[in-house]
Amino acid sequence: MSGHVKNMYPQLSISQAARTLLSLLLVAAIDSVNAGIACRNQQCESHIQRSSKLTRLIHMESVDLLKIYKASQGDMSELFCQMPTNIVPDPNISGLDPSERMLSIYSHCKAFLPHLKRVTEQQRDLQPPSSPLLNNLTTAQYRTSGLANQINCIYQNLFPNLPIPLEPVDGPTSIHPSQNVFQQKVYGCVVLKNFKELLSQMRHELRTLKNQMCKSRTFAYTNALF
Amino acid sequence: MDKSSYRLLQLLSLAWLACRPTYSSITTYGTIIPQSPSVEIGKEFTATCVLYKAAKATAEDIYWKLKNVTVPKEQYTKINDSAVSVTITITNETANWLLCEKKGSSLSLNLNQVIHGILLTKGYPPEKPVNLSCMAVQFGRKISSNVTCTWQPGTRDEMLKTTYTLFGSLIGSNKSSKAHRSCGYIDFDTFPSFMELAIWVEVENKLGKVRSDILDVFAADLVKTNPPSDVNIISENNFSRTLLVSWKHPIHVTYVTLKYNIRFCTVGSRDWTEVPPNDTESYKESFRLQYLKPDTEYVVQVRCIHYRGYGYWSDWSANSTARTPEDKPTSKPDLWRVVIPSQVKSERRVQVMCKDPVESNGRIRGYSIKIQDGTWETVAVNDSDLDSRSQERKIIPLYQIPWSDKRRGLIELKAWNSVGESPQASLVIPELTHEPPSVESLSWFTHQGRLWVKWQPPNVTATGEPYRSEVTEYILEWVSVSDGAMDWQRERRHTRTAAIKGNLQKFNRYNISVYPMYSGWTGKPLTIAAFLEQGVPLEGPSVKVRRTGKNDAELEWMEIPLDKQRGFITNYTIFFITGGKEHSIVVSNDTYSYTVKRMASNSKYVVRVMASTVQGSTNSSDLSFNTLMYASGQIEAIVVSVCISFLFSVVLTMLCCIYKMDSIIKKIWPPVPDPSNSTIAKWSPDFTSKADTPKENALGDVSIVEVDVFDRKSLCEEDKAGLPLKKDKYLSEEHSSGIGGSSCLSSPHQSVSDSDEGGDEGQTTASTVQYSSVVASCGYKGQTPCPLPQSGSSQTPSFARSESTQPLLDSEEHPEGPESQRYLRNPYFGRLPAGNNGDSGDLEDLNQMEMKKQGLALRQFCPLEEDFQQTTPTEEGQSPDGQPGPDPSYMPQLSGYRPQC
Repeated sequence: MSGHVKNMYPQLSISQAARTLLSLLLVAAIDSVNAGIACRNQQCESHIQRSSKLTRLIHMESVDLLKIYKASQGDMSELFCQMPTNIVPDPNISGLDPSERMLSIYSHCKAFLPHLKRVTEQQRDLQPPSSPLLNNLTTAQYRTSGLANQINCIYQNLFPNLPIPLEPVDGPTSIHPSQNVFQQKVYGCVVLKNFKELLSQMRHELRTLKNQMCKSRTFAYTNALF
Repeated sequence: MDKSSYRLLQLLSLAWLACRPTYSSITTYGTIIPQSPSVEIGKEFTATCVLYKAAKATAEDIYWKLKNVTVPKEQYTKINDSAVSVTITITNETANWLLCEKKGSSLSLNLNQVIHGILLTKGYPPEKPVNLSCMAVQFGRKISSNVTCTWQPGTRDEMLKTTYTLFGSLIGSNKSSKAHRSCGYIDFDTFPSFMELAIWVEVENKLGKVRSDILDVFAADLVKTNPPSDVNIISENNFSRTLLVSWKHPIHVTYVTLKYNIRFCTVGSRDWTEVPPNDTESYKESFRLQYLKPDTEYVVQVRCIHYRGYGYWSDWSANSTARTPEDKPTSKPDLWRVVIPSQVKSERRVQVMCKDPVESNGRIRGYSIKIQDGTWETVAVNDSDLDSRSQERKIIPLYQIPWSDKRRGLIELKAWNSVGESPQASLVIPELTHEPPSVESLSWFTHQGRLWVKWQPPNVTATGEPYRSEVTEYILEWVSVSDGAMDWQRERRHTRTAAIKGNLQKFNRYNISVYPMYSGWTGKPLTIAAFLEQGVPLEGPSVKVRRTGKNDAELEWMEIPLDKQRGFITNYTIFFITGGKEHSIVVSNDTYSYTVKRMASNSKYVVRVMASTVQGSTNSSDLSFNTLMYASGQIEAIVVSVCISFLFSVVLTMLCCIYKMDSIIKKIWPPVPDPSNSTIAKWSPDFTSKADTPKENALGDVSIVEVDVFDRKSLCEEDKAGLPLKKDKYLSEEHSSGIGGSSCLSSPHQSVSDSDEGGDEGQTTASTVQYSSVVASCGYKGQTPCPLPQSGSSQTPSFARSESTQPLLDSEEHPEGPESQRYLRNPYFGRLPAGNNGDSGDLEDLNQMEMKKQGLALRQFCPLEEDFQQTTPTEEGQSPDGQPGPDPSYMPQLSGYRPQC
C-alpha cells in the first residue's frame, strides 16, 4: 500500500501543502460523517419506539409551532396557510415495503430541514429576537435532524444491506432565493403545515413499522437460535 | 512519537542551536535543551547542555548542578565534544534549578562558570475523573437544554495548571464547554429528548491529557422533572379509612412519561409510609390511600420519575394534609385504677382512670362506667380534657370511691364518640387479702436512651382462687417521684422485657411497678426505683453538727430530697479540714450521722459532706465548728471535786467548831459574870455607895479566893484585847485576886507584867479553877457587905467562890475613880443608889446609852439586879419572884474581883 501511495505522488499536480490540507479536511469530514451516523446496535422495538416518541414530541411541538406562527404573523394568518405553493415538499410518505417507506420518512425529514432553516431565517427578520417562534423553529430543526439520524440508524440496523442515498429520494428541494414578506409568510405557514402533516404520518408509519419489523425480526432471531 | 524520533529531533535542535547566531548582548556560552520544561515527579528527566564556541570548553569540562548540588558524573552522557546530557530522577525534593557549568581554567580566577540554567516545573500528569453523572432538570414546561455534570477528580495535587473540559456528543452534534474541577455543564441548545448522547470529561495539563469514561446515555437518563403539582387530598364521608390523592403531571407526557411515588404519615410524625411502587406505576393523576386510621390527619407527598425508572426522582411535593372521617371506636378503653391508702381502717380508696381507646377513631365524647352490679353511669369528657388529635393519650380520672379491703368488685367501662361505642373494658379489684401473686423478680436497665424493665412471671399454681391462674397481660406503671405524675402501659403475656413508652425525664426518679393481670384481675405489684439517666445530685446534703467533743464531733445530715438526688446515692464522703489539711471518710449511702474521731482539741474544723452517684458528686456547704478544750464531764469533775473538797473542809470546820464550840463561844461571847449571882453584889445597905479607898495596909485582910480559870490563856488574850480597860484596872492598886494575887498586890504594875508573862504558871495548878475573891472583912470599896447567914462577923475576911467566868468589873477594880467614869465603864452597875448624888438622872441616861452599846445580851441581866441591889438590898440572894436564888456555895465576894492573869 505504501508503495502504491508513493507511486501516486507524482501523479498529483497540486502542491504538497494543499494536499496535506485536503487530507486533513477529508479526515475531518469522514469523522464528522461517522459521528453523525454512528449507530449502536440496539433493540429494534426500543429503537423505533424511541423514534416514535420523538416523532410524537416533534409533532406536538409542530402543532404548537404552527399556532405560534399563525399568532405571530398578524392579520390574515389563516389566509397565508391556505395559499397553494409548490415549493414545499409533499408530506405524504411513499413506498411499498417497509424499507421504502422508512427511506421515504428519512428523505422527508431531510427534505424539510432546509425549509425549516429558511423559514427560521425569514422569521428572524420578521420577528423580534425574543419571539418564542424563533426558538421553537430552532428546536424543530434540531429535533428533526436528530430524528432523521435515528431513522437512518434504524434503517441501517433493519436493512444493513440497503444503502441510504445521500440525496433525498424525491430529489433536491428547490428553494426560491428571494421572496417578499407575503411570500415568506405564506411559505413559512405552508412549510409548517406540511411539516406537521408529515410528522403525523410518520407517527403512524413508525408504529406500523415497529409492529411489522420488530416482531418479525424477533421471531426470525428466535428461529435462528433454534 | 517513539524514542528514535525524539532522539532525531533532539539532534536537529542541537544542530540548529549550535549554528544559530546569537544577538544577545549577554555573552552566552551554551544552552540547555529543553528550556523550562515541566517534569513529572517520579520520572526520569534528561537535559542536554550544548556549548558554544565562546565557552572555550569541551564536554569534559561540563558538569551539572541541581541548584548547589553537583549531579554525579555517572548520570552524564557525552553526546559529542560540545554536548553533554544528564538524566535525573525527579522527586519532590529535587531542586527547581538545573545548571550547566564548566570548570574554570587554572589561570582563571572564576573557577565555576555557569553556562546555562533551566527552571524545572515539577508536577503530576492529570488523573482520570471518575463517577461522571449528569442531570437535566425541568425548566418551565420543558427539560432544560443545560446538562449539568459532576465527577470526582483525582485526589493527587496536580501542582500544574490543569484544565477540565466537558464534552457532549449526540448524533450529528458535538458540544463542549470548560468546566470546573469537579463539575460543569453543557448547553445542547435543545434538550435532546429521545436521543442518545455521550458525555465525557477531559483533563489536561503540561504533562498530559486524560479522558474520563464516556457516559453513553439516553436523554431520559438525565431527566429530573419538577415534582407533581397541585397535590390535593380529598376526604370522603363514609370512607373513614381512605383518602383520595390527586395531582397534575409536572411535564407533558410527550417529553417524559412518568410514574409516581406516594408517601404519607400522620401529622407530627416522621415515619413515612410509602405506597407500593407497583400501585402507582401507571401514568395517572390520582390515587386512593387505603387502610388509614379514622379521624386522623395525614400528610401526603408525591414525586415522579420516568416511567421506566430512567433519570432521577423528582423532589417530593409540598405537604398536603387532610383528615379522615370519624368512625366508632374499635378497641377497648384502657381501664386502670390506683389504690390510695385510706385513713379509715380496713378501707382503701380506688381511683378509677382510663385512657381513650387506641383506636378511638374519633374524639371520645364520654364514657359509660358500671361498678359491680350498679347501673351504667355516663361520664362526659370535655373537649379540653381530651384531644384525640394529640399523639399522647391522656389519662382521664373517672371515679374515686372508697373500697373495703374485703370487697371484691368488677368495673366495666365503655367509650363512645359521635359515631358509636367502643368494646367494653373490665377490671376486677380483688379483696386485699386475696390479691393474685406478683411477678417473681423485677429489674431495670437503660438501652439506647430508653428505660427498660425486665421481670420474671409469677409462680402461680391453681389454688382454687376465683381468678384464673394464667397471666393474660402485664401492666407497667410508673410514677414520677418528683411530681407524682403517673402513667401505665400494657404488655403481652409472654413479654418479659419492655421499654417504658412514656416521656420519661432524665435525672428523675421513677417508681416502676409491674402488675400481672389475670383475666382482668389485678395482681400484686412489684415496685422498683429507676432512672432513665442518672446525674450529679442537684445539691449536697444539709449538714449540722449534733455534738462536738474534745477529740470528736458527731455530724448529722439529712437525706437529699428524692427529686434532687438525680440518681442513686452510692455513698457519702465526709471531708474535714483543719490546719490546711483535708481528711476524708467514705460512709455508706444509708448513713446519715457519723462521729468523727481523733480530732484535735480546741481546734477549728471545716466540714462538708459529699453525696455521690455514679455520675458524680456534689458537696454540701462548708460547716465550721470548734472542738472543745475539755471533754464533756471534765469540767464537771473538776467542779464536783472542788465542791466536794470545799464541802469536806466546811464539814471538817464545822466538826471542829462543834467540837470546840464551847471555847469558840467563849471566845466570841466571853462569859460575863452575872452580877446577880455575885456575892459582891450582895452589898450591905449600910455601906455607902462611895467606898472608901482601900489602903495598902489592908492587904492583911485579903483572903485568897479560888478562881475557876478554865482558860487562862484566853483570859490573858482577852485582857490584851481590852487593853484600855486593863490599864484602868491595872492602875488600881487596891485589887488583887486569884492566884498570884500576892504579886499583884505587891506591885500592881508588876502584876500586869506577871499576868502577861507568867500566867501559865497559875494555870498549871489546876484544870478547873474557880473564881475566887478576896473578901475584906471590913467591906470593900466603901460598899457595905451584905450580912451572910453563915458569917456572924462581917469583918472577918473570907474567901468567896464564884461560878461566874465574867471578868471583874471595873467598878470593882477602880473604886477610887470618879463615879461617873466608873459607871460608864461598868454598865452592869450603871445605876447607883438614889441618894447617892443629885446627878443620878444624868447617869441613868448615860447608862442607857451605854446599854445600847452593849447590846441586848447584856441587858437581860443588868438593870433588874441593880434595882434589887439598890432598892431591896435585904432581899439579896432571892430571885425577883421571891424564890430564893441558888445558894452560893462560896462566900460572897466582898471586894469584887479582877481577871486572873
